[in-house]
Amino acid sequence: MSAGLPVEIVPRGEVQSSAVPPSERQQARRENWRLIRRRPSFIIGVFIVLVWVACYLFSSWLVPHHPLDFRSIPHLSPRLKFPFGTDDQGRDVLSRVIAGARDVLNVAPLGAVLGVLLGVVVGMIMGYVGGWVDQVVSRVVEAILALPVLLIALLAITTLGRSTWVVIGVIAALFTPVVARTVRAAVVAERDLDYVTSAKLRGESSLFVMFKEILPNVSGPIIVELTVRVGYAVFTVATLSFIGAGPQPPSPDWGVQVSDAFRNIQAGIWWTTLFPAAAIASLVIAVNLIADSVQSVLEAS
Amino acid sequence: MGRYIIRRLASAVVTLWILATIVFMIVSVLPGDVGRKVLGPFALKEDVARLNHSLGTDRPFFSQYFTSIRRLFTLDFGNSYKSLSSVNDIIFPALFRSGKLALLAFVITIPISIAAGIFAARRQDKLADRAVVNVGLAASSIPEFVTAATLMSLFAVTFKLGKVYADPLPGTSFFGQFRFLLLPALAMVIAYFGYIARMSRAGVINGLQTDYARTASMKGLSNGQVMRKHILRNALAPTITVISVQVGYLFGGIIGVEKVFNYHGLGTTMLGAVTSHDVPVLQGAVILVGIVYMVSTLLADVLIALLNPRVRLQTQQ
Repeated sequence: MSAGLPVEIVPRGEVQSSAVPPSERQQARRENWRLIRRRPSFIIGVFIVLVWVACYLFSSWLVPHHPLDFRSIPHLSPRLKFPFGTDDQGRDVLSRVIAGARDVLNVAPLGAVLGVLLGVVVGMIMGYVGGWVDQVVSRVVEAILALPVLLIALLAITTLGRSTWVVIGVIAALFTPVVARTVRAAVVAERDLDYVTSAKLRGESSLFVMFKEILPNVSGPIIVELTVRVGYAVFTVATLSFIGAGPQPPSPDWGVQVSDAFRNIQAGIWWTTLFPAAAIASLVIAVNLIADSVQSVLEAS
Repeated sequence: MGRYIIRRLASAVVTLWILATIVFMIVSVLPGDVGRKVLGPFALKEDVARLNHSLGTDRPFFSQYFTSIRRLFTLDFGNSYKSLSSVNDIIFPALFRSGKLALLAFVITIPISIAAGIFAARRQDKLADRAVVNVGLAASSIPEFVTAATLMSLFAVTFKLGKVYADPLPGTSFFGQFRFLLLPALAMVIAYFGYIARMSRAGVINGLQTDYARTASMKGLSNGQVMRKHILRNALAPTITVISVQVGYLFGGIIGVEKVFNYHGLGTTMLGAVTSHDVPVLQGAVILVGIVYMVSTLLADVLIALLNPRVRLQTQQ
């Protein structure tokens, strides 16, 4: 391979510092972004996510009743004054669904971003350094992937406490190995290309080569991974709070609401379960629509 | 082939050892002492100490670690902290019950999703194809407990089909049990349909473009024959891998489904063990899930090798 070429053959001044000149890369990025923006699934996804972000930011103005106000009659079916009905304690379900956006949006995106950042660092090192470091870390990653993720999260959260930062940290820790594996594969494909070799020959430090030279060229898979991980994070956070490893009642968190209410379904009281469940489903589907659009454009280019 | 299986088994043992170590490390940083947790805040100090001694939880860190690793290799996980009965008497019946639910879910999912994948691949980029792919994607991105709760409110309550709980009375006939398990299984079908349909679609699309598929149809085989005899054999390899990996994920997703339908399988057992700090039950259950995962991925690889002579020859070297 080119890595074995004598130094003299590479003419000075013609070696580019990266595989694609920055101006071209910027243009390609603009083009991809234009293609992504045009996809109907992206537009629908962004619209739904924006609705929930608006609920998150302006919940105190949007809620018709206070989400913890228990002064109405319990278990009223949906009607004009309470479009989603009231729950077992006479609280307005619509207000609780709006206010519940806060809990999941506080945790899921941050957890996913942290997990991807850590995964990029670990994957970069695995792919670039290689050797026994790569072997050992790969083994541990394999074992972690064989674990029921949810269970480990539950275990860690009951051990370390249910605070928001613990949940964010656990989500990040769970996603790190998966992201690392993807990034590692992308880095291995770049490692022996000419621009990396020439950067090494210029005497650049490993850190410079990894993060200034290779990173911009593997940004595609990383962006895809990030959007996909945000979807999984919403999924995981909702499930964790459903099984009790998250906010506790009387929090209006969606998972907590479903967990509180589902036993009443058999008595015909479906609205206390169905509306928060639909809220979870809409957010997860919306994020996945965005992720899918980003993925199909970036993987085609 | 034999050597390949032995090598795979050896690496599975290493992975199980790492798994047991991770679980041990997490539970050993649990705050508080076990005896106090089991007996409650009003128990006498001497009783707590005696219980800790009989459970072995007063021994040094490494001694406890070796016990937990020995348990992995002898498949004897000791006694539950909570009920003091044997862990195996708790986790194996639970695994059997979850297995019944999972089996029903797979028996429904696999044929439907492979058929949907073939259907979509034949109509690539047409409306029907997009519908299968997008509905599958949306359905599989929803958490299982949400699907389960939604199905329960729609079917069990509105249409009176299926049951709101999955546990039939003891002695219920085979078909009687089926009625109870149908809704929870359906929740899992919805969760896994998308992945499997997507993989088989991708495999079939690749297969349709190959030279051997073109040759086969040019020598006069019907579309159905080309699909069955030539394409599916190759196209199903990645699908089988995805199915086997799903078996592992299934035991995570099953926690939510079992909780909604109040089913006493491995999911609710693990959930209960975590909340009551019942370490031996938890360790046993996680190891059991790990073993199921290893066995299913190994079986998948063997199956792929049997289907495809090229893979079979590669693994012999």
